[in-house]
Amino acid sequence: MTRRRWPGVTARTAALRVVAERGGMGVTLVFYVLVVVVLASLWRVAVGANGGNVAGYGAAAITWYVVTTEATVIALNNRLIADTGRDIGSGAVAVELLRPASVLGVRVFSELGRCLPRLVACAVVGGVLALVTAGAPPRPATLALAAPSLVLAVACNIVAQHAFAATAFWLRDAGSAWFLYQKLIFILGGMLIPLEALPGWLERTASLLPFRAMSYAPARLASGHLEPVLLVQQVGWLVVLVGLAGAAFRAGERRLQVVGG
Amino acid sequence: MRGLAATFRNALAEVRSNRASFVSQISVMVLNDIVWVFFWVLFFRRVGSVRGWDGRNILLLLSVLTAAGGIALGVLANARRIGTMAVDGQLDAVLALPVPPLAHVLLRRVEATNVGDLVFGVVLFLSAGSPTPARAAVFVFAVAAASVLLTAFLVLAGSLAFFAGRNEAGELGFHAMIVLGAYPIDIFAGAAKVLLYTAVPAAFVSSVPARLIEDFDAGSAACLVAVAGVFAFAASASFTLGLRRYTSGSVWTR
Repeated sequence: MTRRRWPGVTARTAALRVVAERGGMGVTLVFYVLVVVVLASLWRVAVGANGGNVAGYGAAAITWYVVTTEATVIALNNRLIADTGRDIGSGAVAVELLRPASVLGVRVFSELGRCLPRLVACAVVGGVLALVTAGAPPRPATLALAAPSLVLAVACNIVAQHAFAATAFWLRDAGSAWFLYQKLIFILGGMLIPLEALPGWLERTASLLPFRAMSYAPARLASGHLEPVLLVQQVGWLVVLVGLAGAAFRAGERRLQVVGG
Repeated sequence: MRGLAATFRNALAEVRSNRASFVSQISVMVLNDIVWVFFWVLFFRRVGSVRGWDGRNILLLLSVLTAAGGIALGVLANARRIGTMAVDGQLDAVLALPVPPLAHVLLRRVEATNVGDLVFGVVLFLSAGSPTPARAAVFVFAVAAASVLLTAFLVLAGSLAFFAGRNEAGELGFHAMIVLGAYPIDIFAGAAKVLLYTAVPAAFVSSVPARLIEDFDAGSAACLVAVAGVFAFAASASFTLGLRRYTSGSVWTR
């Protein structure tokens, strides 16, 4: 594998593995449909009870919002922080240092490859579900921006989870941190509730943090809001997060000690 | 019974052996549950009430669900792992013991993280459920019935793995109950609502118990007990039948 080709090969191999494992994909999709149906029903009932509008979202907009946010989260391995932290804490990551490629890079591209087939499947199923239950997207043209935004969202999330998990180089365990990280995406990332529906102080706090790039941005676009600046913000956050995760892994790798290794 | 009691004492001792880890795992789950409370508070502050459910009702629902979930997934932690154990052939150790296999499996492992749910559910009820002696008694009854039902459903869904050879049904059953139980039943309509009172009885794990605490009704209580009983019988029967098809994996496990 040449230096130039390893990211593509890594991602493609991981993607093919996920596609071949149909049972796992089926479980992911059924779970996705379940969550979307429940959450979209809740929000549509709430919109109906509030004169057809909550925080600027109508029934169709909120449904497209929900199918998008859920796709960004369910397509990912939600225990990535714990899994990565365990590999670091146990020293298993040391074997990866022998490769002529960055440990972080291989892990990120591998996870991206695993995630993309699930993301595409969830987005397609979610789109059909939204069409059937709530009708066409409020502004179909914005879906063209939502598609790259979805990929940027999961990329930001994967890189951020690695930055988080890198604490295991020092603490030896990322433990249950994934649980709390996930909840930050739920609220500050706009997964459960659109950021416009948060109280002002919390909305302002969320606007300063990277979590909105991981879920809210593509959902805002898919719900009919033509705001290309969201894509720019996502790219900006991706650069920052890659820098943080890269620095953390470089420092951690220098510190790594393997018991009995 | 003495054997089962000893098994459970061992499981408790094991989970508490690392006290710092035990406390930290419970704390993480409590924090996680607080985020859900926060979400519901934000939600109802924004939308008012939804089909008769408001912030007060939803906190009751959450207290019952987390307490029942804490018992089914924390105290009887293997309830969720029946399917995995069946598929991977991990039941050998249990079958060699002079105790009822299902009861032993259920009591053999305590999961600290989910014990946090139980702690949270009780604290939430005491702090936000307007506890009176009568309401507390109904809360205890409702949580007991809901945890029997949830445990039985998880065992039933997991036992399908004995016959199917795969555990997807168990995993989906678990996710379905937890996701569907976390929302008020009245946001659903038609076939979905029927489903939640029958095949995936999530309504009886959260919404029905929460309503009983708010406004006790003997008919609904009897219905809750009956549904829990039916699922408990079905779970026990399917596990027993499934064991006849069980193939050893030569794995000695807990």
